[in-house]
Amino acid sequence: MSAHGHADGHLPHDPEKATLEGRNKILGFWLFLGAETVLFGTLFSAYLALRHNVLDGPHPAELFQLPMVFAATMILLTSSLTSVFAVQALHHHKVKAMINWLIVTIVLGLGFLGLEIYEFYHYVQEGHGFTTSAFSSSFYTLVGFHGAHVAFGVLWIGLLIGQIFKKGLTVVTAPKIYVSAIYWHFIDVVWVFIFTVVYLMGKVG
Amino acid sequence: MENNQSTEQPTKRHKVEGPQKHIVAFVMSLALTIIAFAAVAAGEINTTFVYIILVTMAVIQVFVQMSFWMHLKDKGHLYPIIGIVAGVFVVFTMVIMAEYWVWW
Repeated sequence: MSAHGHADGHLPHDPEKATLEGRNKILGFWLFLGAETVLFGTLFSAYLALRHNVLDGPHPAELFQLPMVFAATMILLTSSLTSVFAVQALHHHKVKAMINWLIVTIVLGLGFLGLEIYEFYHYVQEGHGFTTSAFSSSFYTLVGFHGAHVAFGVLWIGLLIGQIFKKGLTVVTAPKIYVSAIYWHFIDVVWVFIFTVVYLMGKVG
Repeated sequence: MENNQSTEQPTKRHKVEGPQKHIVAFVMSLALTIIAFAAVAAGEINTTFVYIILVTMAVIQVFVQMSFWMHLKDKGHLYPIIGIVAGVFVVFTMVIMAEYWVWW
């Protein structure tokens, strides 16, 4: 009856932290995120230093469309909420609910990517290609790198769902789900700075 | 292993976390985002003042999300905090350099 009975085949309460391997995985992932922070920091620095060098290309203020950026922001913010719901379902050992929330997260991630691809396509039409200016190169590198992280997250979480179907929720698979959710939140955190520094500050001038 | 999915009876000893605090974090993020966009969309405001609003809103939002959604406020997260703060420190120096020193 007791949910604390690990021996009877039940999962412990926080299955992601139940084993040393799981705890180490989470710690190691945080150190990786520290390095990721520096990686994005270099790209932000390059963008900040080069954003005024537009040559003959369009200026940030005349290029960016705030409604589209706002929509993308809402999609990513909501997907962050659904991925934390997935982790809550994991803590409650509700595998079905967890998978459903992960699927919603993936769908929202794909929606974000679709919007970003459309946005880039639109910019290229406006004469804002990758090699147009230092501004455009640093812009596409920074925002594109973030988009690549979203694409990787979608792929990763998709594979994890497959693994859950195959192996079920165990003390081995739970840390993977937990860590992928942390990764997804990190992507959203990076986006907060992108919409602030790149889009909103670019619009202000 | 088959009954992994049926262990849903929480005991009183273990507090069951509800979705409330995460929804609060979501609403806060939403409000901070809307304030930031509104400050830009409004126009006609002093540029430096808008910059201050934007950076403040972003920092608060990231703090909220890292505390609640990334669980940094939970116990046992000292080393993760040290790791991420070390990263932020490096970024801070780089951003200062890029923004103020590169074209000096």
